[in-house]
Amino acid sequence: MHSIFKRFREPIFVIALLAVPFSIFFVKAKKGRELSGLDRAVIFVIAPVEKTITLAAFGVIDAWNGYIGLRNVREENVLLRREALKARQLEQQSAELRLENERLRHLLDFVDKQGEGRVMIARVVAVGASPHSHTLRIARGADDGVVKGAPVIAPDGVVGIVSQLTGSYADVQLIVSPLSALPAISQRTRSRSTVKGTGDISRCKLTYALRTDDLQEGDLLITAGGPGFFPQGLPVGRVVKVEKKPHGLFLDADVIPAVDFSRLDEVGVVVGFPSTLMPPAAGASQANARPGGEP
Amino acid sequence: MKLRIVLVLLVAAGLAILESVIPHLLHLKAARPDLLLIVVLYLALRDDVVQGAALSAAAGYLSDLTSATPAFLYTFLAVLTFVVVRTAGSALRTEGGVQSAAVAFGASLGHSLVAALVFGSFTGAGFHLELSPLLWSAFGTAAAAPAVFAILRRLDAGFLHGEEAPGGMR
Repeated sequence: MHSIFKRFREPIFVIALLAVPFSIFFVKAKKGRELSGLDRAVIFVIAPVEKTITLAAFGVIDAWNGYIGLRNVREENVLLRREALKARQLEQQSAELRLENERLRHLLDFVDKQGEGRVMIARVVAVGASPHSHTLRIARGADDGVVKGAPVIAPDGVVGIVSQLTGSYADVQLIVSPLSALPAISQRTRSRSTVKGTGDISRCKLTYALRTDDLQEGDLLITAGGPGFFPQGLPVGRVVKVEKKPHGLFLDADVIPAVDFSRLDEVGVVVGFPSTLMPPAAGASQANARPGGEP
Repeated sequence: MKLRIVLVLLVAAGLAILESVIPHLLHLKAARPDLLLIVVLYLALRDDVVQGAALSAAAGYLSDLTSATPAFLYTFLAVLTFVVVRTAGSALRTEGGVQSAAVAFGASLGHSLVAALVFGSFTGAGFHLELSPLLWSAFGTAAAAPAVFAILRRLDAGFLHGEEAPGGMR
């Protein structure tokens, strides 16, 4: 027996390495992901490094904009250069501060307008490692009161939901993920539909929109709200490529997300909203969304 | 050899961090290279079976942690990619930058297709295949492959002086 194992050691090992992950994936494929101790330990090590690199890189960029970019001015008269440098530095710093101030105020104004729940500002520190993943990592976690399934929003609209989290960090599953689906209504016609992720970061699919609905290109879709979903009235995206087939109940259309996910530095996590009280399989629940709000 | 395993794991962890930070910093939407897939390719073509498969699983696990997909999807896919590339290994050459880029491009396409198929079939999300991001990702992976291969080759070169090369050196 031992000699057989020794002889077929390699194929047995490889088959086991294929079978074990696949079995776990197969069993848990339709459930929300729960982080194991090992998962938490690895994220505990990796996430601070990601955060440090991100903050350091932004610091370097700021320094470049604020100081190094002005070095060419030094070729001018020394006194004038010094004066100009000081003035420019101050101007750059104040401009940077003003922009940051405006951005944060914009976010806070937006936060104040959210009636239900409390919105917590979170810095984006990384994106999903795989090109096929549609996640953001934010520097807020369970220790800050974030829970799995919590809606994540930006001033421009809906971002996604918290799919997994550790004490200090959380991963946000974007609405463009194929696992994501959220009920929406057209702001103009009030017709209901579901916006489903396609895996393409710049496009979602509109499903369950009735063929008889007067949906037109450019129509703004907003969240429909309801228990277990995003707060009502948040921009989701704009309808494009409306195709009404001669038969069938529903029309086909694409949705361009309201948020540019590649340019998010800060997001808001809705804490205390009813959806954040959902069980761990929140992603699956949102994914099974149907028009009308029933999960 | 244990030191090499640790170093390969550290390289994989470093690449995972780069993979998640660089697109954020550069605001990349497309052309995101799958750096950990390149590590798996390197291992499949140059490591011995047991060690290479185990390290590939570890690289896949790192992808898993930030993908928000059901657990162990990318771990399984990494080992599967290792097996397929290992099986086809005799037909693949990666000495030059262009060759490694070509292999990475093909592997990225295949990996993405199988990932979409497995993901769609078992999660109930349905089969979604977007050609444009798939191609951009494959181009990004191909562009990054020579650099990642060079890093791993340099790492292995340090071990060649002291001991036998890892199995299957080509």
